[in-house]
Amino acid sequence: MSTETLTDIAVRTEDVWKIYAQEPEDVEAVRGVSLEVRKGEFMTMAGPSGSGKTTLLNMLGGLTRPTRGRIWVGDLEITTLSNKELARLRLESIGFVFQAFNLLPVLSALENAEFSLLLRGVPAEERHRRVRALFDEIGLGGLEDRKPGKLSGGQQQRVAVARAVVGQPTLVLADEPTANLDSHTSDALLDIMERLNQEHGTTFLFSTHDPRVMERARRRVSLVDGRIESDERG
Amino acid sequence: MRRTLTLFRLAARGVLREARRSLLTAAAMALGLALLMFTRSLADGGHEDWINAGVRMGAGHVLFQAPGYRESRSLDDRLSGIQTRAAIAALDALEGPLAPMATTIRLSTNGLASSASSALPVVIHGVNPETEANFSHAAERITEGRYLEQDDRLAAYVGQGVAERLGLSLGSRFVLTAQSTDGEIQGQLARVVGVFRTGLPEVDEGVVHIPIATARSWLGAADDATTVGAILPTSGVVPEVVRAVRSDVEGEDIRVLGWREAYPQLDAALRIDDYGDYVFLGILFAIVALAVLNTVLMAVLHRKREFGVLQALGLTPAETGLLVFTEGLMLTALAGVVGMIAGAALTWGFFRDGLDFSALMSEEMTFGGIVIDPVIVPKFRMVQVLQSFFSIAVVGITASIYPAYYATKIDVGEALKFE
Repeated sequence: MSTETLTDIAVRTEDVWKIYAQEPEDVEAVRGVSLEVRKGEFMTMAGPSGSGKTTLLNMLGGLTRPTRGRIWVGDLEITTLSNKELARLRLESIGFVFQAFNLLPVLSALENAEFSLLLRGVPAEERHRRVRALFDEIGLGGLEDRKPGKLSGGQQQRVAVARAVVGQPTLVLADEPTANLDSHTSDALLDIMERLNQEHGTTFLFSTHDPRVMERARRRVSLVDGRIESDERG
Repeated sequence: MRRTLTLFRLAARGVLREARRSLLTAAAMALGLALLMFTRSLADGGHEDWINAGVRMGAGHVLFQAPGYRESRSLDDRLSGIQTRAAIAALDALEGPLAPMATTIRLSTNGLASSASSALPVVIHGVNPETEANFSHAAERITEGRYLEQDDRLAAYVGQGVAERLGLSLGSRFVLTAQSTDGEIQGQLARVVGVFRTGLPEVDEGVVHIPIATARSWLGAADDATTVGAILPTSGVVPEVVRAVRSDVEGEDIRVLGWREAYPQLDAALRIDDYGDYVFLGILFAIVALAVLNTVLMAVLHRKREFGVLQALGLTPAETGLLVFTEGLMLTALAGVVGMIAGAALTWGFFRDGLDFSALMSEEMTFGGIVIDPVIVPKFRMVQVLQSFFSIAVVGITASIYPAYYATKIDVGEALKFE
């Protein structure tokens, strides 16, 4: 057990397993992972394809339920929550950045970024103020009205990052966020996320096998065959 | 509220984004609605024509008769003069949309028509020439001569078949024989002033009209009648009129019949036709529903990732389903508006003067005891438009339920997998 107090913990798992029923035998995607992520961490989960990174990330974000084990986000155990409660948790405490950007094509850049605030009932003026400030900070000023289809890959991913952090979540889970970007754009995006981490204290947890991301991380967890193989800091 | 509005906005954009797919789906529903409105208005128009023909061939939408007359067809079961006047008074009391367009007082009996060459059993209607001319279908179908007139005494207006089988022509004299009210067999001389042809053999070969004054005098019926009838503006007001006049003649020992009771054969024919229409429309709607279900479900499958993202961002599974359902409702509303306009345009724009089925029908097609007019004028009623819209709404809503349910069951982790 960690020496950290509960209020310092962004997310914690205890002997988490994810087993997919499959013929001829079940697949154990995640096998007994216990992990603590402190608030403000900028950490990666690395590992080869099929090591369980995305599955673990999805379980931490309440998108997939573990087969067994327990998960806490902050001091709230999420493994016992209903679908509705999980949706509320994701809305208020977790931001997601996906490999495929996953912006909503029917919404403009600004509308995509403000979506979680909209669902939370934040007034329009406040939403727009926060998103515009963030857009200026990450170099998206002037692109507010563009639809995702009219943005470059790097711009789309920056909108996705803005969407993930604008609600000031406890935790941002980023699944291979640089996998679809060139090195220059990846570096620029990582600069932004690192700055958001340092200036706003946002916790970032990356699933990645991109060395550029791992170089910047202050903590690197390595997963192999669904188990934590190493956990390095510094 | 804000979340609901957000869902509504997302649904609207979802519909607009896949404009072609949305238009195709809405078009299928709109076409179904337009066809429904058209076929219903055509069926309603046709049925109204049939009813109109039936009641004019008979004795009206609403009939007053003595209890037992319908079964016995005997002069013993007739309305007295007082009862007849009470029935007329009840009809005269009707106002506005219930007011009769034409009324008749008939003294009818079964008898024998005899000429020098032959004899034929007939139904003899003693009628008021003035009112009957506006009432009876037979009165309009003159092939020779004229209809009865007010001053006629011995005049007879006969079916073409009667004239042919008795060898009668205009001006020919023949004898009508029937049992009078005192039970005696009485004869009445008559002279042919007009010949009619309805196309119904049982009418053309078996009906004779004579003035009611002559009939009353011949049969000893004073100012009595066997039937008082009324043609109403539409068949739709019959139940209301029957209720009203029944209460007016209550205690007079008069039986009031609506057209459905008076002409069960016609009623059955209409019900059978309606049944056929409903089966056809049911099949049409099942096809439309399957098309809509297929399109909406495909849209959901195609947008699995998008729904996964929405749930990752904080939408609940129920809200995701509601989003899909709202899109279905929007398509339904769009289809409803377009379909109603198209249905109205089709019905009113092209066929307001009627649709001529002459090419498909034999010259005189009969059904349910009436001759069917080959020109059917669609009847457009607001209640029918609303029913049609309601039907398409049910189709749209039903076809959206499963896709909406499917959307609630999406495995978010699976949906977000990068491919």
